[in-house]
Amino acid sequence: MRTTRAVEGWTLVPLERFIMESGARLALLMTPAGQVLAQHGFTRAVDVMSAAALGAAIVSSTGEIAKMMDEPEFRALNHQGVEHGIFLAGFETLRGRLLALVVYGTDSSMGLVELFFQTLKAELVAACPVEERREPVLAADFEHELNASLGSLFGR
Amino acid sequence: MSLVNFTTREITCKIVYYGPGRSGKTTNLQYIYGRVPEGRRGRMVSLATKTDRTLFFDFLPLELGQISGFTTRFQLYTVPGQVYYNATRKLVLQGADGVVFVADSQARQLDENIESLQNLQINLLDNGMDVRDLPVVYQYNKQDLPQDLILSKRELDDALNFRQRPSFQADALSGSGVFETLKGVSELVLRRLSEVSTA
Repeated sequence: MRTTRAVEGWTLVPLERFIMESGARLALLMTPAGQVLAQHGFTRAVDVMSAAALGAAIVSSTGEIAKMMDEPEFRALNHQGVEHGIFLAGFETLRGRLLALVVYGTDSSMGLVELFFQTLKAELVAACPVEERREPVLAADFEHELNASLGSLFGR
Repeated sequence: MSLVNFTTREITCKIVYYGPGRSGKTTNLQYIYGRVPEGRRGRMVSLATKTDRTLFFDFLPLELGQISGFTTRFQLYTVPGQVYYNATRKLVLQGADGVVFVADSQARQLDENIESLQNLQINLLDNGMDVRDLPVVYQYNKQDLPQDLILSKRELDDALNFRQRPSFQADALSGSGVFETLKGVSELVLRRLSEVSTA
């Protein structure tokens, strides 16, 4: 079953279109720290949170190797398996740098994913709004709920 | 930077366990993984060497539950403590919302603790972060060792905790102090969200 989740609503339409056109199984949008901003596709393809953390680490570490070689950053990274491949790339938006992790199977290809990723990137850059005003999220007396949550987590 | 989803009312925060090699960072995560019910945690990912030393990071997603109507999730990371893995330490620190500095309480490890703390400050600066603005707590691990081998909490506070952040004694192998440390850093990280959103 396809799952769609997004922290930032403006990412959804481009992401859904990308999955439909490229035939990829799953696309994740995330911050360089590995936090998932949006996901669309078959989430059973991977453990989403772990994949985002590992994908961000791959992009960061290869970016550092590029710096060592006085190269501009690697445009995209592809890892091709037998049944599945992954595609990783970063791009700049008004909200800072974002990363995309795409999982594709035998019903798509590296070329198709790369081709439609360029459209996805352009649509996301165009759709990205400027950062909104920051306001408090949690109530000032959140500690009671935090203590109860942690207590239940550790069986206390 | 904490992610806040107002539509689904979810908060995700990144906490990094930092400290010298063999101070017990991975042991903290392993204890948490073992204690927390399966439905409240994700898979623990460890990128380690053949001898179980952390090579890149350990990663453990946790679901704290509802806080102020938000489903709150923490992503716990460790860094590799060994000196020559500094490049990867710096990468793991990117976007951290809070840091647990896990110090080895053994007296003979004091220099390593100080060196690692200095390294934390340098790596935060390199990532455009100021240690003075970041929620940091200290955990003095291995307090179960014989008293003549270890430094007391007061001695370690004097040597390491000059900003007077919350500090906790621990024996991560048995789990003593692990919960208190996580609670301490959670409070500091979420306190910032009660003041201003960083979405």
